[in-house]
Amino acid sequence: MPTGLSSTELPRILALERRAVADLGHLLRFRAATASRRRTLLIGSAFLALTLAATVVPAYLPGAGAPGAGRARDALTLLPAAFAGFQLLSLVAAIASGGGRELVSREQLVAYPVSPTTDHLGALLLAPLSVAWLLQSWALLGTAAFGLGPARTAAAAVGVLLWIAAATAIAQAAAWSVEGVRRLPHGIAVVRVGALLLGVLAAWLQLTGRLGPLLDALPTRWFVVGLVDGANGRWVLTVAAELALLLVAVVLGAIPAHLCARLAPREEHDVDSALHLPRPMPRSAWAMLVRIDRASVWRAVPVRRGLLILSVGPGVVAVAGALTWPQLVLLPGLVASGGALLFAVNAWCLDGRGGLWRESLPIGPRAVFTARAWVCLEFLAVASAITVGIGCLRAGVPDAREATAVLAGWLVVLGQVLSASLRWAQARPYPVDLHTARSTPAPPMAMVAYSSRLALTTTLTSLIFSTLARDGTPVVTIAVAVVLGAWSALRLRRTAVAWVDPVIRARVVTAAAL
Amino acid sequence: MTPVVEVRGLRVRFGEVEAVAGVDLKAYPGYSTALLGRNGAGKSTTMRVLAGVVPPTDGDVRVKGIDVRREPLAIKRRVGYCPDVGGLVPRATPWEHLQLAARLRRIPDWEPRARELLERFELGDVAHRVTSGFSHGMGRRLSVVLAALHEPDVLLLDEPFDGVDPIGVEATLDVIADARARGACILVSTHLRELAVEACSSVTVLRGGSRVATLTARDMAGEEGARAYRALLD
Repeated sequence: MPTGLSSTELPRILALERRAVADLGHLLRFRAATASRRRTLLIGSAFLALTLAATVVPAYLPGAGAPGAGRARDALTLLPAAFAGFQLLSLVAAIASGGGRELVSREQLVAYPVSPTTDHLGALLLAPLSVAWLLQSWALLGTAAFGLGPARTAAAAVGVLLWIAAATAIAQAAAWSVEGVRRLPHGIAVVRVGALLLGVLAAWLQLTGRLGPLLDALPTRWFVVGLVDGANGRWVLTVAAELALLLVAVVLGAIPAHLCARLAPREEHDVDSALHLPRPMPRSAWAMLVRIDRASVWRAVPVRRGLLILSVGPGVVAVAGALTWPQLVLLPGLVASGGALLFAVNAWCLDGRGGLWRESLPIGPRAVFTARAWVCLEFLAVASAITVGIGCLRAGVPDAREATAVLAGWLVVLGQVLSASLRWAQARPYPVDLHTARSTPAPPMAMVAYSSRLALTTTLTSLIFSTLARDGTPVVTIAVAVVLGAWSALRLRRTAVAWVDPVIRARVVTAAAL
Repeated sequence: MTPVVEVRGLRVRFGEVEAVAGVDLKAYPGYSTALLGRNGAGKSTTMRVLAGVVPPTDGDVRVKGIDVRREPLAIKRRVGYCPDVGGLVPRATPWEHLQLAARLRRIPDWEPRARELLERFELGDVAHRVTSGFSHGMGRRLSVVLAALHEPDVLLLDEPFDGVDPIGVEATLDVIADARARGACILVSTHLRELAVEACSSVTVLRGGSRVATLTARDMAGEEGARAYRALLD
């Protein structure tokens, strides 16, 4: 029985891995060829400019890097927890998406000898193309810059960037491992029980007051301490440790990626083979359209997984952080935006190639549009309701001003997200089958553009209602909601009117059916 | 005899690409017509126009005298369409597809016929499983079932034999024969000449988005037919 790699095996494995890295370049070039160069350049430049701004600007703000007690000191004190928070976010994102996004979909690559290592590296490269990842990264860079001031920012930024890269690679390796477990017999149950136990543990830590001391004792503190005093020996040691972590995580991550590739995706097969007993015929044609659309949404693996993470995660954070009602106002917009990114931004892809057949059925386009809009809206509403429902557990009973602001803000962001999603779905349909946990409704760059625009709009709107929850009156809040809601309704109506045009509809349906 | 399907000077453009460049076509009740041609000849786009899915850019297209451009809903009520690609909603079951079709087409007492068709196409065992797990052939067979459920006046079958096993081919031929017997007009788009000859009474050959010939099925049969078809494609 072989006990280790033979002298001939190692060079062969290294050659295969070199080839896998070279294939990554080929896939990147293929992907780049299908993206708009101008759009890619624009998004890339904005990304670099914002990263530079997040690294430099906070260092020159008043009070930045001030010695002694103050906001700069507080920022540094929070940095170890922020490092750990980034790690947690990366873990959740990578695990929820079943090993991260695909550079090129599995269906398209099925005929080619593409190594799981290439897939692993591709998923790592795509991890930053998410607003949550970007905002957290910029927050880490900004916090470090504000805490240290201009003199020590450059050295610390190198360490923070390396931590971001290492944490992402660790999350990727962990995600492949969890995905591997999911694909084993009873693996899905094991992962669900594990997640539940972790949730119970976190709740116990919080309720018994042990969470604070645990955060203070996190190993991330060692990295932060090594970065705060400029480029000295300790800094070199810290940066070297981060670099080593990064390399080890990237290399080791390929192992569970290979193991995963050998196992069948159990959850997808379960969906494909599940029996759905017939239900009585609905009373109206519209109700039948809604039923089919609901089935398309709720039976999609990435949508179901995404909903759970998206709605429960922020709710738990709200409870742990004991958020007040004016702070809770911010959450529905965040969750609704994330929900739209699961399918609604390319809502017509739900029919896939069945869109051509559906379009041949004798029903008016308005009914088809309103049914799809309704199903999108109820999904977004359910996702954000779960978050608000969990979050309000520690927020106490809201007064009239707070209750009005939360409800009005919620309705307005739902309208904004729905209107934007259906507009984009009509303007840029993509042929996507949301079959695997790693599927996204649009290509990576489009997803970044969608998520940035949704995040910006809903955050600004939520901030208005958060302010109204503190300082406004119910009448003013309702007036603001009516104005903002009317604008979204108008834009949604324009999209609905455009859908009636058979040329536009034919373009969308045939593009989604490719 | 009055044609059920009448197409004159049909043109369809997608941006710079002209998918159909002046097709003329007539199809009659109780007869089946095959549309033959190479990939990109315009067969599927013509079928999509007849199904009311894609609007014509130019030309006159009428089904039972109804203008497809003016009254697409009226056309959709009379047509049964099996699209060339998939044609199925991935996460809906065959029964849910049939329910949707029955509800939107207002088909009374549809369940016995739906069950009979599912059994005939050997899909009864998978009637309540989502179609994303189906093989290509199973998907094709279900698409034919959906097109035929309401016994339409015009049956449009786009590549119904593609990847289908012999039992599925036989069931599809039976559906075409039944439709002919009750006086329906059938159009079958395919690039399988032998099956087209078996299924249809006449054959229209398209090339480069235009009609190049209309022949009887007998003229396209056997070695002679193969040579004639080859000559029309070149």
